[in-house]
Amino acid sequence: MSSSFLVLPTTVVEKHPNLLFSFQVSLEREMMRNPASQQASPLSPGNRSVGPMFSSSSRFSNDMHVSSVSAQGRQSHNSPFISQSLRSREDFTPTHDSHSEVQSTEFIAYSDENKDLSWSVDSLLDFAENVPVQNSQVESSAGVFASEDHANRTNWQEWADQLISVDDDLEPHWSDILNDVNKTDSRQKELKPSPNISVQQPPIHQHQTAHSGEVCAVANPLSPAPPTKPRMRWTPELHEAFVEAVSQLGGSERATPKGVLKHMNVESLTIYHVKSHLQKYRTARYKPESSCGTSERKMSPVEEIKSLDLKASMGITEALRMQMEVQKRLHEQLEIQRNLQLRIEEQGRYLQEMFEKQRKREDDKSKTPSSSLDDPSLLQAKLEQSSTNNKLVASELDIVKTSNESALPEESSPSISRKQKAPEERNDLVLDQIEEESSPAPTKRPRRDESAELSTGAASN
Amino acid sequence: MKFGKRLKQQVQETLPDWRDKYLSYKELKKLVRLISSAPPFSYGSVEHGMAGAEFVRLLNSEIDKFNTFFMEQEEDYIIRHEELKQRIQKVIDTLGPSGSQPSEAAYKEEMRKIRKNIVNFHGEMVLLENYSNINYTGLAKILKKYDKRTGGLLRLPFIQKVLEQPFFITDLVSKLVKQCEYMIDTVFPVEEEEIMKERRESIRVAGEGIFRNTIAALMTMQEIRRGSSTHSHFSLPPLILPDFDLIQSSQLNSPIPIV
Repeated sequence: MSSSFLVLPTTVVEKHPNLLFSFQVSLEREMMRNPASQQASPLSPGNRSVGPMFSSSSRFSNDMHVSSVSAQGRQSHNSPFISQSLRSREDFTPTHDSHSEVQSTEFIAYSDENKDLSWSVDSLLDFAENVPVQNSQVESSAGVFASEDHANRTNWQEWADQLISVDDDLEPHWSDILNDVNKTDSRQKELKPSPNISVQQPPIHQHQTAHSGEVCAVANPLSPAPPTKPRMRWTPELHEAFVEAVSQLGGSERATPKGVLKHMNVESLTIYHVKSHLQKYRTARYKPESSCGTSERKMSPVEEIKSLDLKASMGITEALRMQMEVQKRLHEQLEIQRNLQLRIEEQGRYLQEMFEKQRKREDDKSKTPSSSLDDPSLLQAKLEQSSTNNKLVASELDIVKTSNESALPEESSPSISRKQKAPEERNDLVLDQIEEESSPAPTKRPRRDESAELSTGAASN
Repeated sequence: MKFGKRLKQQVQETLPDWRDKYLSYKELKKLVRLISSAPPFSYGSVEHGMAGAEFVRLLNSEIDKFNTFFMEQEEDYIIRHEELKQRIQKVIDTLGPSGSQPSEAAYKEEMRKIRKNIVNFHGEMVLLENYSNINYTGLAKILKKYDKRTGGLLRLPFIQKVLEQPFFITDLVSKLVKQCEYMIDTVFPVEEEEIMKERRESIRVAGEGIFRNTIAALMTMQEIRRGSSTHSHFSLPPLILPDFDLIQSSQLNSPIPIV
């Protein structure tokens, strides 16, 4: 699902910052995701077809076509993302092959410039998907990777060769980088091409796009960025390995970052990560209460007296239980809210895709006049489909509202008469109807001052 | 307008270290206004383009800020969670009834401290989830405004990216919260059942930072989700809290000024 979104649009060069940003985003996401990657990847035993990605890429490029300003806007800022992503990806490379890792670094750059080979990004993304496997299954996956490595190295090579056919003005840079790639280097050397790639892109852009002039004034944020600051996402499993290593090395005071790093033997980890983690660990160990309670603000003397008084009267444990209940409630609501937000966006995206498909079909059909009769019925079908989805979302909203102990009438099929509007608007209208017709159930909320009065009033009793 | 105010309130109420980590909603709104006032064509195009670029740049840097902060906190929580587990185990093993040096007084004392720590820890994690969500909401809103004002189509693709950001993927924190809740069951003694009455009175103990923040967060959430004039299918339904009056009455006003 992610790859269809993140496929490189094929049209304009300026769009590649989006790609790079997306890549980093997807990378972060993939890194956090635990083991099983649902899609087939080049490094997994299954095979992968290249075909489907072409269609998804063209679909995506339609979406992105309009926001040219934003694309440029993102451009300058993407350099830190780029460098970060390249570096962090660098850090997360599976043990098996630093060589292919650098090749994929090249792919990022290549694919940006090469309009024909948009699918290469997908291959990168799939490549990235394997990274979290490595991360969280430190012990088990190492062997797996080693065996898969040889089978797939040839694939990478082929793709690398294909990607060499890029625009001429870019070639000198890429061939330099290729030379770097072909050496069997240590990681430090491989790190160097990445900053170059990201730095070179903004100036190249200047030639190609009209608006990029102002944007590039902000460009090259690479220099201020600190050399080793890739953002790493810790997991409990990783932490467990860390604790194990520390205890093996004589405890948190005696253990050194270097020793821990070596003992943990996780390829993607740097000493910087371990050092900062060790620091946090030491703090947490030796000040357990302050670390749990530091975030509480200092109460004013009056409040303190008030709360102590009440605490004494009904027991701290009870108060804590109360606090716990409220916190649980908040947590629950947040989960629900988050799921809703996801669904809403999913819905919107689905509609957008339907709309695009429909429009595309209409475009195609306009070339073959004989089948023009199908159009209205097709549109009708799409609308009905979208209304079904709306019902789905509406019923889900109902579930949520019911769980919030209010009953709302269910909405039956929304009006289909508004055919001509864009999916977002259409959806808006449809659900406006749902919202309007459901009885507004929220209790009247007094303003903050009133609630304050209430509590002070009650407290004085 | 309303969200901006709510956000500001939330930021004021929040833990002090977190104050500058929230979304710069106001700033972004200013940019949107700037963009829509500068015409996109002819002599206004430069400002328009620049403001637009600045908008996106700011969005990206905000997201970066969220990610960094969120992951930093998450790492802390992982460590503290493990530490709490070990601490509980240690207390049970040494001071507990079947421990190496059983001592009821010391055990009770330690457990009291642990309980407090766990509850606050739990609360802090929930507040981080809230942080994530409120920033997401802010982003969604500002993107909607942008699209509305400029007629652009930035919202949909951009929000898809946001959905994949580390700060929005709160699965791990959520898991830790759940585990905390289980831990609490083992650490809290079983109580008698006149709890409801006691609770109503004991709510005003909500003077502690975390608890107060949690209440504030719930209230804010409810406020934000009230029906607005621009309610659309991208809006969330209103939030209904069953113990509304309970929660509301526990919300303290701002510190009483000492004259």
